[in-house]
Amino acid sequence: MIYLHLFLQFFHIGIFSFGGGYATLPFLYDISEKFGWYTLDELNNMLAVASITPGPVGINMATFAGFKTAGIFGSLLATSAIIIPSIIFVIIISKFLNKFCENIYVKSVISVLKPLGCGLLTAVGVHLFVNEFLSGNFNIIHFILFCLMIFISLKRKLPPAFYLMLGAIFGLIS
Amino acid sequence: MNMYCIFKHFFKIGALLLGGGYVILPLLKAEIADKFSEITEDDICEYYAISQCMPGLIGINTAGFVGHKLMGIKGAICAVTALVLPAFIAIVLIAGLLTNLADLTIVQKAFSGIGIGVLALVIQAINEMREKSIVDKYSLIIFLCAFTCLFVLKISPAFVVIGGLILGIMTGFYKAKAGKK
Repeated sequence: MIYLHLFLQFFHIGIFSFGGGYATLPFLYDISEKFGWYTLDELNNMLAVASITPGPVGINMATFAGFKTAGIFGSLLATSAIIIPSIIFVIIISKFLNKFCENIYVKSVISVLKPLGCGLLTAVGVHLFVNEFLSGNFNIIHFILFCLMIFISLKRKLPPAFYLMLGAIFGLIS
Repeated sequence: MNMYCIFKHFFKIGALLLGGGYVILPLLKAEIADKFSEITEDDICEYYAISQCMPGLIGINTAGFVGHKLMGIKGAICAVTALVLPAFIAIVLIAGLLTNLADLTIVQKAFSGIGIGVLALVIQAINEMREKSIVDKYSLIIFLCAFTCLFVLKISPAFVVIGGLILGIMTGFYKAKAGKK
């Protein structure tokens, strides 16, 4: 039963997440809230590992969440579930190809889904922030580190590993 | 051109695909466009553009299109499977290790700091998306509605996206009508 549930949850992520990278995050966050297969902290750790391993972050998260929930078979199931919609859509859209992006309905849908996706991700970002700094005891060193990282990210674009390394060093010495 | 060949090249791309997103473009160019005459660099750019306006992960979709062009449905399945396999193996190994290491104080301490790094990465991603997506009042309203739906009302993201799809199709319908006049 858990397997069917796991499959359906990741299958629907494959259908409804638009855009790459962190687009899957609101869904994974929702799953953690509703089913408790993994905690918010575990999701955070997963995201860190996914940023420094090969493959798209969404796939990494599916594999990781599946593994946490139901072992190797779970991870196989969750990973397949998230890529099956992609394969189906690719096969269908291959028939239209260049006309697809020019279609007025596709264009209109995308112009709605872009800010919508940003809104969903912002909700996750705010929740992570609240969870880190405003619930439980406030850690001043962590907050300073956070401000420093945001400052750096506004100045120049550095690879994810930089932020994770900096975080790990601060975590170990604080 | 055979299945083994597609598998081999996409497995290599999957293993080198660090950081996700547009990283797949130069890799596809070097591994596929430069080696097979069936696919040009323009094809790859076009597939990438289409992948951005369809559901699913962009890298996976792009690989699927390339595989489909090379060997049809079998090619698409083979390319996508090969692309995710290195990621799958890496994560299963790390997940296995991490569950054993997670109880160590030193690991917990490191991850408490890494969590801050993850938060900064998410904020950075939001900022990049905001620049590209919130361009007028209309998109700002959609942004705020989506935020409220998930953060305050706790509505599943899938339903929020379905709402967005309906709104988008209605807008398209309106624009198509206005265009005819």
